Amino acid sequence: MAVDELQAIIQRCQILEEADFKGEDFNLFQVAGQKCLEDGYAAQLLEVIQNEKNKVIIKNMGWNLISPLVRCIFMYEQEDDKREHCLRILDQLAQLCNPKELFLGLLEQIEQTSGEQVCQTVMLLLQPLQTVLLKLQNKKAYSVGLSLAMIMNQLTPLPVPYTKQQIQEDKLGLCQCCNAVVDFAKPFVNEVVKNMEKSSEYNDMELKEELIKFCMKSLKYPLLTAQLEQLESIEEHPFRHFATEIIDILWNIRELIPLVFVPHKGRSPPWENQEFADIERKNSADSLACLSYLMFVQHFGVECFPMVFSPSYLLLCNMTHIEVLLKRTEESVLSKGLDLFESCLLRIEDNSLLHHYLEFRVFINVPQDLVKIMTLCPMEHMRKKSLNILQLFIDKFDTEGKYTLFRCLLKTSNHAGVEGYIIKNIKDQIHLALTKEYDNIWFTGHHLISLLDLVLSLPEGAETDLLQNSDRIMASLNLLRYLVIKDCESDNQTGVWTTLGKIKQNFLKPLRVGLNMSKAHYEAEIKNKKENRKEAHSSNPVCSVTVSGEKMPAMTTGMQLQVLHSALFTFDLIESVLARVEELIEGKTKAVMDENS
Amino acid sequence: MTTDEATKSEGEVQAAALAERGEDITPSKDRGVLKIIKRPGNEDESPMIGDKVYVHYKGKLASGKKFDSSRHRNEPFIFSLGKGQVIKAWDIGVATMKKGEICYLLCKPEYAYGSAGSAPKIPSNATLFFEASNAGEPVELLDFKGEDLFEDGGIIRRIKRKGEGYSNPNEGATVEIHLEGFCGGRRFDCKDVKFVVGEGEDHDIPIGIDKALEKMQRGEHCILYLSPRYGFGEAGKPKYGIQGNAELVYEVTLKSFEKAKESWEMDTKEKLEQAAVVKEKGTMYFKEGKYLQAVIQYGKIVSWLEMEYGLSEKESKASDSFLLAAFLNLAMCYLKLREYAKAVECCDKALGLDQDNEKGLYRRGEARLLMNEFELAKCDFQKVLEVNPQNKAAKSQISVCQKKTKEHNERDRRIYANMFTKFAERDAKEAASKTGMEKTAEKAACGKGAETPGAE
Repeated sequence: MAVDELQAIIQRCQILEEADFKGEDFNLFQVAGQKCLEDGYAAQLLEVIQNEKNKVIIKNMGWNLISPLVRCIFMYEQEDDKREHCLRILDQLAQLCNPKELFLGLLEQIEQTSGEQVCQTVMLLLQPLQTVLLKLQNKKAYSVGLSLAMIMNQLTPLPVPYTKQQIQEDKLGLCQCCNAVVDFAKPFVNEVVKNMEKSSEYNDMELKEELIKFCMKSLKYPLLTAQLEQLESIEEHPFRHFATEIIDILWNIRELIPLVFVPHKGRSPPWENQEFADIERKNSADSLACLSYLMFVQHFGVECFPMVFSPSYLLLCNMTHIEVLLKRTEESVLSKGLDLFESCLLRIEDNSLLHHYLEFRVFINVPQDLVKIMTLCPMEHMRKKSLNILQLFIDKFDTEGKYTLFRCLLKTSNHAGVEGYIIKNIKDQIHLALTKEYDNIWFTGHHLISLLDLVLSLPEGAETDLLQNSDRIMASLNLLRYLVIKDCESDNQTGVWTTLGKIKQNFLKPLRVGLNMSKAHYEAEIKNKKENRKEAHSSNPVCSVTVSGEKMPAMTTGMQLQVLHSALFTFDLIESVLARVEELIEGKTKAVMDENS
Repeated sequence: MTTDEATKSEGEVQAAALAERGEDITPSKDRGVLKIIKRPGNEDESPMIGDKVYVHYKGKLASGKKFDSSRHRNEPFIFSLGKGQVIKAWDIGVATMKKGEICYLLCKPEYAYGSAGSAPKIPSNATLFFEASNAGEPVELLDFKGEDLFEDGGIIRRIKRKGEGYSNPNEGATVEIHLEGFCGGRRFDCKDVKFVVGEGEDHDIPIGIDKALEKMQRGEHCILYLSPRYGFGEAGKPKYGIQGNAELVYEVTLKSFEKAKESWEMDTKEKLEQAAVVKEKGTMYFKEGKYLQAVIQYGKIVSWLEMEYGLSEKESKASDSFLLAAFLNLAMCYLKLREYAKAVECCDKALGLDQDNEKGLYRRGEARLLMNEFELAKCDFQKVLEVNPQNKAAKSQISVCQKKTKEHNERDRRIYANMFTKFAERDAKEAASKTGMEKTAEKAACGKGAETPGAE
């Protein structure tokens, strides 16, 4: 019987000195112990372990039982007595065994678990692991770091619950587990804090570095992808709780403010190799962005935050974080980027952001990222939100800043809708310039003319695809119409009358030619279609269209005709505005000529 | 007076006193920032613009509610003066303080967070009061020092006269400056000069001045302290009688500048024309051994052309050939500057354009060898031989790789021999790898003579 075998080996070893234990004894002990557990004699095993006489044996050999023990614990039901016994064995082993070996044994268990069992295993072993680490004499910081890194690495592949329901359900136990890991880390945080209080030149840099690494890792996973907005009817939002704890740790070890404000200096041990430093920087970029989100959007840790920074400087500091977040496509990350951007912009007064900020590359890059989201993101609310934020961004700049930004966006967006939107903004600025008293040199006179050159032109002359560019063309025509109505030739505040010849040459004329060509083309096409319809119904589609993997049904001739007609309608619309503009120009120039003659 | 209430009432009294008797320190005299000195400073010197200042403070709202205190963080608050990093009231207020001075400041919203406020602590249109509570917790100016421009101690700036606006010359901008150079108290240079930022070397101006100019504003007058790396380096400057590794001090006035166009302001034709010009310029610097300057020139080609879309076939061909040359030459420069990771990155990009490029492969091999990535380096040299079997240098590099790999493997085997002893040997390993790196660097320096193809 298993228990007898165990007793036998125990009795043999009781008389031996610690140094005399042989490899064979270890094996026999492990096999017998494992058998006891498997055969359901946990209670007896517990007795053996608790026996004072066996202390030395357990101290040396006990760690061998960790693996079978963990397996058994998962085998039994929650309320089973045997499970209770197993848990007490685990507890005893943590007290009695050699810390060094037990540490490796526990770590090995965590390393080997995977999939759905990860969180359960981690939560089961955290307590004994903590006990052992607190007893370790040497390499403690390193071991704490190793444990935290191993645990976080095991958790990382798990999906982060996102919806309220998923969070409440917490199917894999991730929410619970994360908070357990923080509790696990707390004694070590306290240790660092205590040492820091003792002397300002504490020698505990190593443990501190390990804790920073853990916090950085936690910010990247799970916090970056977690839902962190307050949820109704969840009192203690597990990830918000986790985030608070992580920020607390950073604050307590006095690393919070340096991380938020001087992130690139002297953080990690200086790498000899530049490449490592680059990797490290890339890795920490996500974490730091998440940290900023927590502070500035969710206001975690805000009570420690210096309240004398200027809002534009805060925006500048956050721009790189925003850029990192907006480059991502996951909703959870992208929305954090948009929220962070919005919150920074809302602190700034309208028209107060100096145009010089546009000299920072990131101030040019980020609006371009917004444009990408606006035009390519599949989620409608994200597209809308990024459009709103782009407008907010524009509003904050001084006039020269707006001017530069418009120029840049017109040149880089490659999207007629966005260009149309920018042109509408230009019109609004001109309107302000003409109605306000103070001088606005950027939206009148020669600066404006150079901007109008960009706006009032067709990218490919008469061959431009008018349908594709209709948004832009309509906005340009509206702007021109506004200019010739609002600004009389005698005032010529905007300078539009000076450059009229060029506008006619580069814009109105080719547009007229293009319209005529396009209309003729589409009308011919409609005629064709109608005739074909009479001929045969065996309309083989010319090509097929697939949208996200699904093949779209071929268009019927009727649908094709509808599309062609709606194109014609657009052309008519453009033409009517064009005609109005031409009429206005002619009328006004004529009036002036009459006066002069 | 230690109870909270006493503190509060004292605070109110102070705020009232400030409003009544405070000195208006705003330039426009609109009473937006009022100041009372509680304790004068112990030195007469005030901080200069751009200086790094160390301040202790405590801030309250009009309601008496404390919103911030540096004491709470257990460390002084540090910022760069006059750069718009802090609310306007502070840039104005702290600039008037002397070292060791303690004062009170009352700040109108227009000089603080305005109508927008700053969520969640500062409401809209809030007047802020920075004050003393018990003893010694007001705005106290502890210390200040010159601005470290690149956070590496290489260039320290102290601004004598602030420039206008915030606009800086960019790389490639044409600047007109007056400069005086000093070394060990001796003036060795004094001139008015007009040049292109990044090309100061043509006028015997060290790279540090080019770099610093990018952070200066029109009309600014400042003193720059350059370490040798940003000065004339190891070689010194015999023309001025300057020895190697000399520290330099320059006084520079930026009289005017015209910015170079940003990439998005240029059209493709212009970019291609300019690319030819800067390529030649870069090669000239390279041949003179001025690698930092060469990197600037080649870097321009990359910034202009790397992301250029919608090129015609002919343009695209020209663009690719410029880019290829730029990446290959950048790789060479970085090898010379011992920035191997960057060299590899440039080679990767060059090979992205032309995967069988002999120079690209060879230079990546060299860089990897110097980074101790022997296997990868060997692969590169082998590919060189596939492209050109006559390349003798590559052949000899392969045998170097093999030798290094062998040495390295042996060391690894020793280190990873036993899982449990790994713990104990961690320190030993660190020491070992350190000496190992030095050794390889040494060897690399010796074995370099084989073939170093010059710039394109």
